[in-house]
Amino acid sequence: MCGIIGCAGRGDATLETLVDGLRKLDYRGYDSAGVALAGVTGVDVVKKAGKIDALAEALADEDDRPAGTVGVGHTRWSTHGAPTDANAHPHTDAEGRVAVVHNGIIENYQSLRDELREAGYRFRSETDTEVVPHLIARALDDGFDPEDAVREAVSRLEGSYALGVVVAGVDALFAARRDSPLVLGLGDGANYVASDVPAFREHTDRVVYLEDGEFARVTADDWIVTDADGDPVERGVHTVEWDPEDTGKSGYDHFMLKEIHEQPRALRQGLGGRVDEMRGEVTLEEFPSLSPDRVHLVACGTSYHAAVYGARLLQSRGVPAQPFFAHEYASAAPPTDGALVVGVSQSGETADTLSAVRAAMRRGADTVALTNTVESTMARECDHRLYIRSGPEIGVAATKTFASQLVALNLFALDVTPGGDDREAIAALRDLPGDVQALLDSSRAAEVAEAYADADSYFFIGRGLHYPVALEGALKLKEISYEHAEGFAAGELKHGPLALVTERTPVFAMVTGEDESARKTIGNVKEVEARDAPVVAVTDGRTEVDRYADHTLRVPETHPRVAPLLANVQLQLVAYHVANDLGRPIDKPRHLAKSVTVE
Amino acid sequence: MDIDTGVVLAAGEGTRLRPMTQNRPKPMLPAANRPILEHVLDALVDAGVSELVLVVGYKRDRVQDHVGPSYRDVPVEYVVQDKQLGSGHALLQAREAVSGSMLVVNGDRIVDEGMTRSVAAAFDGGTALGVIREQNPGRYGSVEVAGDRIVDLVENPTEPAFGFVNAGIYAFTDAVFDRLEATPRTDGTLPITDTVLREIEADEGAVRAVEVSGLWADATYPWDLLYLTRRLLEEGRVRGTEQHPGVYVSPSARVHGTATLRPPVVVDDDCEVGAGAVVGPNVSLGRNVTVGANATVVGSVVDTDTRIGVASTLVETVTGENVDFGAGTIVAGGPGDVVLEDRVFRDRELGAVFADRVRTGGRVAADPGTLVGPGAHLHTGVTVSGRVGAGAEVTR
Repeated sequence: MCGIIGCAGRGDATLETLVDGLRKLDYRGYDSAGVALAGVTGVDVVKKAGKIDALAEALADEDDRPAGTVGVGHTRWSTHGAPTDANAHPHTDAEGRVAVVHNGIIENYQSLRDELREAGYRFRSETDTEVVPHLIARALDDGFDPEDAVREAVSRLEGSYALGVVVAGVDALFAARRDSPLVLGLGDGANYVASDVPAFREHTDRVVYLEDGEFARVTADDWIVTDADGDPVERGVHTVEWDPEDTGKSGYDHFMLKEIHEQPRALRQGLGGRVDEMRGEVTLEEFPSLSPDRVHLVACGTSYHAAVYGARLLQSRGVPAQPFFAHEYASAAPPTDGALVVGVSQSGETADTLSAVRAAMRRGADTVALTNTVESTMARECDHRLYIRSGPEIGVAATKTFASQLVALNLFALDVTPGGDDREAIAALRDLPGDVQALLDSSRAAEVAEAYADADSYFFIGRGLHYPVALEGALKLKEISYEHAEGFAAGELKHGPLALVTERTPVFAMVTGEDESARKTIGNVKEVEARDAPVVAVTDGRTEVDRYADHTLRVPETHPRVAPLLANVQLQLVAYHVANDLGRPIDKPRHLAKSVTVE
Repeated sequence: MDIDTGVVLAAGEGTRLRPMTQNRPKPMLPAANRPILEHVLDALVDAGVSELVLVVGYKRDRVQDHVGPSYRDVPVEYVVQDKQLGSGHALLQAREAVSGSMLVVNGDRIVDEGMTRSVAAAFDGGTALGVIREQNPGRYGSVEVAGDRIVDLVENPTEPAFGFVNAGIYAFTDAVFDRLEATPRTDGTLPITDTVLREIEADEGAVRAVEVSGLWADATYPWDLLYLTRRLLEEGRVRGTEQHPGVYVSPSARVHGTATLRPPVVVDDDCEVGAGAVVGPNVSLGRNVTVGANATVVGSVVDTDTRIGVASTLVETVTGENVDFGAGTIVAGGPGDVVLEDRVFRDRELGAVFADRVRTGGRVAADPGTLVGPGAHLHTGVTVSGRVGAGAEVTR
């Protein structure tokens, strides 16, 4: 989603630092990019629709190269107005005194726009953001100093924002946030502002997180955080651990494939020190012992599929639990009824999920953030935190973090419902990283993908805990291959979707173990086989499902709770190889962003 | 002189280590509780290189997954050698990735960081080669030295000789790539030594000999992994916290109060050692290994994710990853005769080798020198000897 970088104190390297920072944010997905430097008499802006390379090309022209030692940069993911040069950030006031970059949505922009137009301010773009530089310019005209002008302008805004502002003739950078992340980076003789740590991580690992309603003023050798009244706020300095080199591809063609292969390691990190097979116990660090009467899991996208899995797992252990789409939960929340509300979000910044969790908090619910990102907004706002410890994920399509979420939900379920003999389940979790490695060493997903790369549609069916994996298998394929795919509960097929099945629609069926659920799914496999659909069985070989299948993708035998994690890895590989065979830009699929920070 | 880049040749399988190399190349095999490759990378980083280039090929994903985009904060770039056509050909693949000076080492031989430091320190812009003064059993290249210059290199000496052995640590400038290109291939392959020899032939005294000493060890055959592990344990070159002299245990490992760890021994992250178990001496338990109650493990290297069933006895045993031993498995230890390819090695100190993902039922026994292929399933009560093929089902 949109990205912000700003820096003060880099001298002649300012422009380069901004563009490098934007490249580091490029994994978030964007459709235009721009930079602004504060000159003595005006701000110098260059912005382009398209990739950062287009911006870099425009900047390569020596004559037009912006000059200045304080600046901001932005990658934009369109919400208001098409991806054009004019709509790209930074935006300026009419005289070019102020340049602003913005993440989020200004909800009252139309009324502010009308008001400013009436007062004679001319607008050049269709964006909500453009009201901000005009508001700041008006405050400057009214005699405010630059810092107070920013505060005055922000006091008029409704909605969500992370703002970076430069003003001509001022060697400071101004920032403000509400409901959209912003972080300061403290370097040696230079300081930074960004929406996300990777933007400046190569320059420093010391960071300060801004909270909602706070402002910051940043110069080359000083920084201060203030509240809406301008009073200083004490903010701790954190040291971040992730290495910038973690954003390399380790010799793989795509981050997605690298991250699929990183799963054994990610899962070991997620389990390390948390399970004790000898005692049959789970211990979660800094997590209280909770025994909720009921649980609501709120999430979007892939995380929602993890939530569906988590809810079923809890139900199987006797806890009434329900998954909800976070955006629905936020606008039409069911009675919380004493439920523990668990927000599931890789980034911890997903606006819809934050909004759902906040709605629950307003109703007095106890909340848990299940996330990959320490110090994310969700982690800081929720009552309790459970980190999935997957390590940084760059590919827009979530892979290893989904696996880590499922492991964390297993740990959560074991933790909140102790008492039974859980040794077998814990043993299966301990075996999981090795089982995933065994699968990766022998997967034939590439052959299956090649066989069906030109199919009309792809269907995925699963029952019980395999149902969320069917949903996720379909989503992964949609996201990166742009092909049509749907996941169904296996038993639902004959109640309608079966009409879509033809000889050109492969059906992927998850069948593990040999219980009633496996036998019933085999019945569904026979239904589609009878309609000439090619069948790909994802199976541990315990049943005879391969007799009805055109292809088989094997997974190691394991506990029924853990089998869906293994099946999912095969589906990740199928999606990857189908998309790769079709030549898709796998790490940056069209229209999609890594973490969706607008509602 | 400072050296810019460390180049590691890690593209070959290591066929004489089969069946351990079914799923990963030799540099990724365990030397105590770390892959051989990590020891090699340490020696380069300690010598002060500012970037690493890994030439990968056979099962390269396993190298890439393990090392990742950086190692000890030094960025890593990967280049691929698709066909294994010799060390010189492997190095040539790194041409686009390297500029300036470089240290070149093999990914499957452990070298002391003092050795790489010495070669780096002696580097003066011309080619330099680390040499070791020792009895050459005939399995290493031998080197003839006059003063501090190399006079001759023999890649495969026909008989054991005393003198200098090629340590396999080279310092070059990037001019080496042109010389590699210009070197005629021998039977289609291009060893680095051919290019070094040509340099000497063209300019006597062009190549410097740097005498080095210290830990220098590699694994040629599966039982060498036991030797490597013993050496590294003796020197404390293992990953773990030293709880008592010679007893290294990860903070995330769980060892039952009644289990005994006998030094030297290392227990890696996430391991569980059950009640009454005895582990050591000379044992390395890799990550997430489980030792069942009352099991005994002596003189063995046990790799990641392996489970040792209750009351099992493993002596001088090498396991791959994710091996699952049923209760009461017995490997009584060497000496034994080992059959590799067409050769028989007599009286080797080897209990048995179990490659990745072997499963055994209860009460399985292995005769000395047995090699069990990956994924084999040994059913309850069988006794195996000699070689068991990959994926074999062995029943009574």
